[in-house]
Amino acid sequence: MSCYPLQCSVASSDGTLLFFVCKSTILAFKQRKDEFEQAGRWTDSLFQIDSEQDGVKKLKSNNGEAVKKADSTIGSAFSLQIRNLTLSSDESKLIACADSDKSVLIFDIDYNSSDCLKLVKRQPFPKRPNAIAIGDDGDTVTIADKFGDVHQMSISGQVSAVGEESQPILGHVSMLTDIIMTKDSDGHRFVITSDRDEHIKISHYPQCFIVDKWLFGHKQFISSMCCPSWNSNLLFSAGGDDSIFAWDWEKGTKLSQFNYSELIKPYLTNAHLAADRFQNDEKDIIEYAVSKVVTSSTAHCLAFFVEATRCIVLLDVCPKTGSLSLKQTVEFSNNVVSLSQANNEFIVTLDTQSSADGILVEFVTYEPDTGIFKVNIPKCQAFEKVLAAALKDQNQLGSDATDLYPLYSTISLKKHGEHYS
Amino acid sequence: MKTKPLSQDPGSKRYAYRVNKEENRKELKHVKIDENSVAQKNGKLDLPKKKFYRQRAHSNPFSDHQLDYPASPDEMDWSKLYPHFYDQETGKMAKQVTIADIGCGFGGLMVDLSPEFPDELILGMEIRVQVTNYVEDRIIALRSNHAKEEGYQNINVLRGNAMKFLPNFFHKGQLSKMFFCFPDPHFKQRKHKARIITNTLLSEYAYVLKEGGVVYTITDVEDLHHWMVKHLEEHPLFERLSESWENEDKCVSIMRNATEEGKKVERKRGDKFVACFRRVQTPEII
Repeated sequence: MSCYPLQCSVASSDGTLLFFVCKSTILAFKQRKDEFEQAGRWTDSLFQIDSEQDGVKKLKSNNGEAVKKADSTIGSAFSLQIRNLTLSSDESKLIACADSDKSVLIFDIDYNSSDCLKLVKRQPFPKRPNAIAIGDDGDTVTIADKFGDVHQMSISGQVSAVGEESQPILGHVSMLTDIIMTKDSDGHRFVITSDRDEHIKISHYPQCFIVDKWLFGHKQFISSMCCPSWNSNLLFSAGGDDSIFAWDWEKGTKLSQFNYSELIKPYLTNAHLAADRFQNDEKDIIEYAVSKVVTSSTAHCLAFFVEATRCIVLLDVCPKTGSLSLKQTVEFSNNVVSLSQANNEFIVTLDTQSSADGILVEFVTYEPDTGIFKVNIPKCQAFEKVLAAALKDQNQLGSDATDLYPLYSTISLKKHGEHYS
Repeated sequence: MKTKPLSQDPGSKRYAYRVNKEENRKELKHVKIDENSVAQKNGKLDLPKKKFYRQRAHSNPFSDHQLDYPASPDEMDWSKLYPHFYDQETGKMAKQVTIADIGCGFGGLMVDLSPEFPDELILGMEIRVQVTNYVEDRIIALRSNHAKEEGYQNINVLRGNAMKFLPNFFHKGQLSKMFFCFPDPHFKQRKHKARIITNTLLSEYAYVLKEGGVVYTITDVEDLHHWMVKHLEEHPLFERLSESWENEDKCVSIMRNATEEGKKVERKRGDKFVACFRRVQTPEII
């Protein structure tokens, strides 16, 4: 069965509770010893309403009346994902963003119920949330949106109407791509935000009006950042540059840079050729970008993948100096779509659309004896069975070329300033 | 058929003027202009004529322009903009920029501020290409014509998007004055984020301003004035300066009278609204 890939994943810190997004459905799975079982499912009902309208883009006439614009299918394909799955620090809540109404979804995770996902709050925002982070109080969610603003909401509070949002707590004049809430060694809290214009900004929290510093060094957009749990003053960032950056964000210094351009060359395909309007005469301009960088919570290493390639790269991190060195690459039979981590493993979802019987989820587990990461084949097979059963009865989850979601959209963040005045 | 704009028509006067000026600018932009270099040329340089630099009044601050900006403030080469303040022996700048005119337009404010603050470096930032070219040509001419007394060596202009890249140019607390003169009003509600004063951008201005530094605003649009005052008053790092302070400050009177927009408003007998704010001390971090 050819199947639509899972776009996004998150796991509890012990790895026994797994959440995946398939189109506009969130699936939850529980692990008991070596067996998995489906623990919950939630489908965005707004998805169906919107798709009935057949993705016709709505426009307003000068009188403010809705006007239908024919033959525009772009609207639906690009705006109906669920993204940014995040677990609260006590793992009692799951937070996600729905594109359909630009809202933040908050689920109670009820381990005893037959369906563990219970939607408790749906807070719409005026602009699409692009990244979220949860504060250390467990109740504050900060939302970085496409327009460059960071808003704040409370998990427990009442839903407020769109537009009645409070002022943004901070902002960039650029699309925000990631947000982290963290603490320095003195216990002061900070918000770290990254944008499409090479900027990483560090602001105090809750005094977000005080900018602490910027981290300069990226020459291209930033798509992903992460702070390891084992050394809170380290920060890793990546995006359109052909390097992974390691920072001491407290001091504001760049610690090291790992260039992956040679390493990734064998994995680049025609899919990485730049769009026609940005091509040269030889048609050989290649563009690629890192989609996601993730640190392991147990081992001193990080993993990243370049969009539309079929491998993940693991780097060793020296926890004292922050220097990065190649540990290994792990190859798969299909392109990587998402990457997350739990306990001692990385969870990779793959794009199986072009292969007949590809595996959708791979668990890459740390082996203490050899000190390297390996695909845990029995676990993958056990999980694939449960996953297949879960996806089978859902017609709408079947792959259909007409409603493909943009799986590889990171590179579109690249600026082409040379083409404009 | 749509006719080509004059600036792209090789037969037009504007085209010829622009090409000529561009050559001149390329040659002189980063050259140290002093008595010796001017003596060889002999004769006065004409000030540029505005009519040859016409451009649409608005620029979208969100779009990806072709901009040059340093990767960080440390990588900015100021010696090209202020060659007189560059010490050849140490390879360092004797001064750093402390006054910024954001959206400097045709540069009238800087030209008048220059003799008032001979020991401070003043930088204008302007997003429109032709307008920036005009200011560059104006500064080249002024420096040449005042080479004897080394005039106008402390001002220069950069084409840039201050809303996006201000922190790429300036260190924390580097500036003592920031001017926002007759900014684009962006009347539509939907476009308010494009305004140069917003609560989120003010945090970035507060970062590059030193404690005690001053933000100057002037506009002829009353709505925009109220908007700027509201946002500055709400921001915890700014406090409004009194009217009597405004009346005594020499920059305020220059700002009222010197800028091109200010003069235009004067001619049309419009109102001018001024508000100045001090960057207060950063509160204790909680």
